[in-house]
Amino acid sequence: MQPVRPALCPMLRAKERPMGKEDQDADCVARVVAGDISGFEAIVQRWQHRVLILAWRFCRDRATAEDMAQEVFLKVFRSLALFRGDSAFSTWLMSIALNTFRSRLRAEGQPLLSLDPDRLLAPTPGALRGLEERQRAEAVRRAVLTLPKRYRDAILVYYFEEKDLAESARILAVAEGTLKAQLHRGRELLRRRCANLDPLAAGVIKEEP
Amino acid sequence: MTPDDLDGILSTADNLEPSSDFVMSVMAAVRLADAEPPALTFPWLRFAAGLTASGVMAAAGTILLLRSGTALTTVTAPLAQLAAVVPELGYATAAVLLSLGLASVPRLLFRD
Repeated sequence: MQPVRPALCPMLRAKERPMGKEDQDADCVARVVAGDISGFEAIVQRWQHRVLILAWRFCRDRATAEDMAQEVFLKVFRSLALFRGDSAFSTWLMSIALNTFRSRLRAEGQPLLSLDPDRLLAPTPGALRGLEERQRAEAVRRAVLTLPKRYRDAILVYYFEEKDLAESARILAVAEGTLKAQLHRGRELLRRRCANLDPLAAGVIKEEP
Repeated sequence: MTPDDLDGILSTADNLEPSSDFVMSVMAAVRLADAEPPALTFPWLRFAAGLTASGVMAAAGTILLLRSGTALTTVTAPLAQLAAVVPELGYATAAVLLSLGLASVPRLLFRD
């Protein structure tokens, strides 16, 4: 039996429609604002992965990323009553995350980019070439963090949002044209910095043949 | 490195999963934050009342001193003599008082 699509069934009441992600968020926000903290757990469950990934991209250290992600959720909880729904909940959440990560980096400076051997040097049998590629890719991602802040943020958010220019511009609170220019300049800078990239330049110990 | 290489590297998704107890630790922190008493707001009403009272007092004092005539010169004479001898003292005193006043503003605004 074919599922009934709401557009084809005018009798289907709004109440019976399946809840979208935004509706679920709005429902949880309403519950938390009304005093039911358990509603916040659903928000954390739903968004933990995305917030953690963005945090990871800003510091490239798992423990720091989890700490920053927790800070984001605490800030979101404290300011949930101020969420008016003018923008999507995801945009609002990611803007708070971005500001938190920026403040953290401003306060603590650039992270010390230690190597994570589990991620970088996991030896796949006879795959030295693959290992070098991964080391090179990791060095490029770390080089992003050394860019001037506006280019760093533009590149991190744009690729995090899967190249959605409009959404990235909303999160960064800049005009789309400005973001385009920042991306162009940032990528150019990054390309120049990574032009002669050698995995050793990133401090990665090369596997002996 | 070509722009396409760069684009490809930056577009790669990260395989990072949150720890199993991440939600629990966030919720513990949230419950702790919820149990805290709300932060004190700046006492704007008291501030306004204090400011008004200060204004009234200053105006009243000025009027009284102006009305007293000779008494005013008697009160300010020692200060005028001191200022004639060491004029820098007046500037220094004013600077110190102004600095102290400005330094106390952030403390007043951001105290919990």
